[in-house]
Amino acid sequence: MKRLILLGVLAFGLLASAQDITWMSTQFTPIAEGEFVRNQILAPFAEETGISVELLNVEYAEFAARIEAEYQAGAGEIAVLCGLHGDLAPFAYALADVSGITPGGTIGSALMSKGYMAGKQVYIPLMQATYLMVVNVKAMAYLPVGACPWALTYDDLLAWARNIYEATGEQKLGIPAGPRSLLHRFIHGYLYPSFTGYQVLAFDSAAAVDMWNYMQELWQYVNPAAPTWDAMDTPLLAEEVWIAWDHTARVKEAIVQRPNDFIAIPSPAGPAGRGFISVLAGLAIPETSPDPDAAAQLIQYLTTPEVQVKILEGVGFFPVVAEAAGAVPAGALQVLATGVSAQAASPDAIVCFIPGGISDEYKKIYRDTFHKFVIQGEPVDAAYLREQATRLRELYLEAGVAYPAPDGS
Amino acid sequence: MNERVRKVLGTDTLLPYWLLLPTLAFIGVFFLMPLFKAISLAFYGEDGFTLAYFQKMVSDVRFFDALKFTFLFAVTIVPLQVVTALAMALLLNSGVRGSRFFLYIFALPLGISDLAAGLIWLSVFTHRGFLNSALYALGVIERPIHYLSYQNINFTFLSVVVAEHWRATAIVMVILVAGLQMISKDYLEVAEVLGARGWKKIWYVVLPLLKPSLQSALIIRTIFALQTFAVVLALAGQITPVLAGEAYFWQFLYRNPNVASAYAVLLMVIAIGMTWIYLRYLKSRVEVIRG
Repeated sequence: MKRLILLGVLAFGLLASAQDITWMSTQFTPIAEGEFVRNQILAPFAEETGISVELLNVEYAEFAARIEAEYQAGAGEIAVLCGLHGDLAPFAYALADVSGITPGGTIGSALMSKGYMAGKQVYIPLMQATYLMVVNVKAMAYLPVGACPWALTYDDLLAWARNIYEATGEQKLGIPAGPRSLLHRFIHGYLYPSFTGYQVLAFDSAAAVDMWNYMQELWQYVNPAAPTWDAMDTPLLAEEVWIAWDHTARVKEAIVQRPNDFIAIPSPAGPAGRGFISVLAGLAIPETSPDPDAAAQLIQYLTTPEVQVKILEGVGFFPVVAEAAGAVPAGALQVLATGVSAQAASPDAIVCFIPGGISDEYKKIYRDTFHKFVIQGEPVDAAYLREQATRLRELYLEAGVAYPAPDGS
Repeated sequence: MNERVRKVLGTDTLLPYWLLLPTLAFIGVFFLMPLFKAISLAFYGEDGFTLAYFQKMVSDVRFFDALKFTFLFAVTIVPLQVVTALAMALLLNSGVRGSRFFLYIFALPLGISDLAAGLIWLSVFTHRGFLNSALYALGVIERPIHYLSYQNINFTFLSVVVAEHWRATAIVMVILVAGLQMISKDYLEVAEVLGARGWKKIWYVVLPLLKPSLQSALIIRTIFALQTFAVVLALAGQITPVLAGEAYFWQFLYRNPNVASAYAVLLMVIAIGMTWIYLRYLKSRVEVIRG
């Protein structure tokens, strides 16, 4: 009996000595992604290094509150953080300098420099994503003459959708407009920069009026079920649409299931250029981290080419290390990667960042405007645009943050 | 020792209150306190008491639509369900052979969540769903119809009514069945003897005696109908906004708990109002009859 107790105490001691760090992340929130990260990425890490990592998925509000609280308390439980650029940037003051950590692969200076602010390297890029168009090969037969799918314009897109409608009688263009879709990203990161050159500054300009008129015309060829869609993979697989726009992670499933039926192409360009959002997620260590060394080991592990490719396979976010680009397996992921690189390399690219640090009401402002002019079809009203623009500017003023790129670059 | 404890605690007279104390404490901490905190979210901002959140709620572009659809759903669903549930309850109570079997069939939808029910009906009404497939196979339509779209808002409304009707009628039915079984067989026998049969018996004897159960069923069903959310979300998204849905979006999408709470407080006030109306106008005089 005594021996059993002794063994029990020893075992407990051994378990307690194994390092256990908490990783708080605003990414990997869908359950499938979280499970993937825990089972396929963190479990092998624990086996390799003996450090067991607890992944804590939180919404931005809790993320922000927790970092602030631990910084003010001077001590905390969170050892390492993962968030989008816009999630981490407002907390540069509470994050440690991670320039001493060598990532597991080569991260280009263009990306690394995004994580450098307030005089220190605030985060190390982990993964990137973007939103692009996915096209069923059946639609290629209706491509307008003279249009190149790798460099479409919004006018080309309109003509393409119209061709399909006139030939088949069906509206085969899809933009996710459901309540939990990423429609607001399309509006502020793709439409606005492509037509007006800015995300916020030209909200109520004449170019914006042209843009809304264009969308009213385009909407005639969009599948009427669009306001019920939160993601485009199911409509693409069901062939309810042949041309879709969405986040790479939300179209991945469609391409993975039928890689020979779809191609991924860059989003169209408007009069001001080809606006698109570059979503960059990074890893940071708070000043109050209880175990910065274990955190550094995790960061190094996550930026090795093998794990970067695993992340692409399981989560749909793209690698940031150069060595991983060549290691993308052929098939569905290669299809997506081709589209992503083509978009990033377009000569007329306008790179946009997601607004960070302001109240999420900005999403409502863009979406309400879309609802009023496009879904309800009311005539485009410059006075309403001005009203919404004022509210939008107030949000940025209240939070005291600068406009996101390209407005405030 | 016992004598002293009894004197101090006053257990002789105060025992019931002491026994109630744990439950009251539990309710107070885990229900009342959060309730008051949530209500105060709608009225108190950073600068103290303010009605700004209610103003924001009322000036929201979807507010009046949400109010309209919430009422329309409640007013359409509840009477329909009560009538159907009454028919179902009468069938079950009639002792017809096989009525037990119907009980299981009717009660099946009670076992699934409302979101699951919404998704089931989504698979019927969606563009490539069962309804379109059946109509297409029968040659009635040439091309699938977009039922659940902004252009077909009436049909979208109807699909929610159908889904809710399928899902929740059993709740009302169960209450009415219990109420029917409480009616003493004596009244029914006397009615038969005095010549009231069939429909007359139901209208003049059964229904008045069923009033208390009807009242409970109406109150419960109306409060839940005002809160319809998951089914609307699954079938219509934000095409037909409802108050509960808007509260959800303000909290989780736009991250403004104060306006979300304002919506919730409004919903609570409407529910209390309707309950008061039912209690006042559906007062049963069964006590008089039974006395």
